[in-house]
Amino acid sequence: MSEPILRVENLKKWFPVKRSIRQVLSGERTQVKAVDGISFDVQKGEIFGLVGESGCGKTTTGKLIMKLLDSTDGKMYMEGEDVTGISGDALAAHRRKVQMIFQDPYASMNPRFKILDVLMEPLVIHGVGETSQERETWAIKALEEVKLTPPDEFLSRHPHMLSGGQRQRAATARTLMLSPSIIVADEPVSMIDLSTRAEILHMMRQVQRELGLTYIYITHDLSTARYFTDRLAVMYLGRIVEMGVAGEVIDNTLHPYSKALIAAVCEPVSGRVNRIKEVPIKGEIPAATNIPQGCRFHPRCVYATQACWEQPEPELFDAGNGHMVACRRYEEILEKGDAAKTSEAEF
Amino acid sequence: MKRKDSSQLRAFWNEFRRVKFGTVGLALFAVFVLIVLFEPLLMPYPDANDRWRDMTYWLDSPRNAKPVWVNWFTSKDYAVADTIEPTSVTESQVGSLRMVMMEFEYDFHYQRPPADLQLVTTLTGNASIQMELIRPDGASLNYQRATSSSGTRDIRVSVAQNLQDKVFRLASAYADPDVIASENPETIDAMATMFAAAEPNMLRATNPLEGTYICKLTVALTSADSRVDDAMLVIAGGVAGWMGTDASKRDIWSGLIAGTKWALLIGLVTSFVSVAIGVVYGVVAGYFGGWVDSMMNRIFEVFLSMPLLPILIVMGAVFKPSIWTMIIMMCLFFWVGPVKTVRSMALQIKENTYIEAAKALGASHGRIVFKHLLPQLVPYAFATMALSVPSAIVYEASISLIGLGDATVVTWGQILQDAYASGAVLQGTWWWVVPPGLAIALMGMTFAFIGFAMDTILNPKLRTR
Repeated sequence: MSEPILRVENLKKWFPVKRSIRQVLSGERTQVKAVDGISFDVQKGEIFGLVGESGCGKTTTGKLIMKLLDSTDGKMYMEGEDVTGISGDALAAHRRKVQMIFQDPYASMNPRFKILDVLMEPLVIHGVGETSQERETWAIKALEEVKLTPPDEFLSRHPHMLSGGQRQRAATARTLMLSPSIIVADEPVSMIDLSTRAEILHMMRQVQRELGLTYIYITHDLSTARYFTDRLAVMYLGRIVEMGVAGEVIDNTLHPYSKALIAAVCEPVSGRVNRIKEVPIKGEIPAATNIPQGCRFHPRCVYATQACWEQPEPELFDAGNGHMVACRRYEEILEKGDAAKTSEAEF
Repeated sequence: MKRKDSSQLRAFWNEFRRVKFGTVGLALFAVFVLIVLFEPLLMPYPDANDRWRDMTYWLDSPRNAKPVWVNWFTSKDYAVADTIEPTSVTESQVGSLRMVMMEFEYDFHYQRPPADLQLVTTLTGNASIQMELIRPDGASLNYQRATSSSGTRDIRVSVAQNLQDKVFRLASAYADPDVIASENPETIDAMATMFAAAEPNMLRATNPLEGTYICKLTVALTSADSRVDDAMLVIAGGVAGWMGTDASKRDIWSGLIAGTKWALLIGLVTSFVSVAIGVVYGVVAGYFGGWVDSMMNRIFEVFLSMPLLPILIVMGAVFKPSIWTMIIMMCLFFWVGPVKTVRSMALQIKENTYIEAAKALGASHGRIVFKHLLPQLVPYAFATMALSVPSAIVYEASISLIGLGDATVVTWGQILQDAYASGAVLQGTWWWVVPPGLAIALMGMTFAFIGFAMDTILNPKLRTR
């Protein structure tokens, strides 16, 4: 395997929580362990997906990659270079290489800026381009790239005059302005009408192929993840519990959490709309300040045994063909699952 | 880049024109600016700027005269204040005396007599003057006075004050004996009687006698170097100038015109400087947060809790009260006004995703503050500026009230202060109180209109495509 474009090693982000006087005096420390030691590689030209429910740390991971947050521990390598603690010029260089598409296309562009200003901003910040005419031609090119045509008509508009889909296209165009190598897309279609989602993802994919980009696609939506990503990592409570080729992870799920996640996907198929599936999971996601002992999924896992919380936390290991999983008992659970099958109940 | 700027400005102007009240505000502002530019042409008393408090400058004006347009609304017209130059001057030699004869004509076509009629002249050397006032009906009165002095002096003969007994005698020829017996030369209204029709009730004068009144002045110059200069007849009318006069005979219209530039200056400079400082301060505090915010808040609180008035009193004692010290002091304390609001707005705006997006693009703090945060606060800043323009003017007036105003300039606040000090409202001299008050209100309205219009334009969410 060639040198990964991005390598993350045991990355951690803990947020301190405001303490009461008693806690300060007793030296008690509480921390939200948003990201609690994750490692993965992203190859050049691939679309890497990060999936998980709200609060699992996937957005924090995205922000760590963007260097919008500083990591508490761990290392991050960009094209072989350590970018964990960079600042100044190195940080500016990093920001030219890594761009981000935000979840909310309504909020990610300054409402006072015209689309032209939005697109020119990265160029102005990094001092790219000699004249405003030159920058404008690049902006037009980027708009053509994301199929916002005719570009001239959109350049003079304000973001609020665009539809959600058009805005997300414009936001994508902005990320392309500096010809980056990695684009972190944080739920880029979750706020867009279902009808336009596929279109946007298709456009993003096309752009990625044409320009040879690498995407890190953050989502809670497994169906788009399956369609869009090459490789997938499932996160739970700040850790990756399963990682592998997208089709493999979804069709051949190993970890009980991933299974629950997949089972939770709605299927608006006639005859099944009125049924709610019994999802093989129990309870609520625990607070990230108080991570359970042993396997952090055990309180919610329907297959959990005493060993799960008495043994130390399982690490990701290869279960064959590069399909990684962080569950020691996955084979045993697979058999049980086959016997019980996911049952369905009438709503 | 230049091309783009001018087209942007044009686009902004096109937008602005569509907002009605914005245009009104801009028109008013233009009027104020024009008033300042053409000040010398608009002021009937061009020295009002420098000699506002010089009583000798205003001697020839009537006291507490109403504005001239009051005549448009009343059936009984007030005599209009005027100064009349001699229609003819003849000089003759009688023995060793040189006689200078002057004739003044006053057309009286009003229903209410002037408050006074004064003959004003400058004499040099020994001379005696003789004045004869001839009414349209032929009745006349005489006044003589000899003066001997080698110097130059101003002579002022007031009918209302110096000639009461002569007027009384003139009226006695016609008046009812009962009325004569009941009246006293010292208490009659000399001017009313002087301009009343010859009838028995003349002393209690009601019917005015319209026509041409002639004043003949004969000056006998007894020595070779004696001279007479600048003779004129001053009619202290009941109405004078566009805005009347105050109790110190000052022309209020001139004062208002002279005060316009100071109002604009105090208002604009103070509000612009203080709001600019306050907005940037608030944004920086809100944006950076943490200990920077805490420290800036403490400094802000120190300024907020310092009372400006005592400091200004001390400043007034240490330095000579000047409009510039006042402006600087106001800027130094007024900037706290928008800080809290702007800080909270910045706290809110900085949480927006596009700020994070800008950070992700590598934007510097300066760029985020000046390109993303401040432009959003411009409408608020303009509104605050509009609101602090009148407050700065009123503050200047308050400072004038406690006697710390700049005595070398005329401001609307000081006119109001003079009116207040002499009880103008109780005396019913509304033209002394209403115009400066209205001017301050109008100035405030101007900036409020402009501010609100800018709000609708600069806030694109209020815009329609």
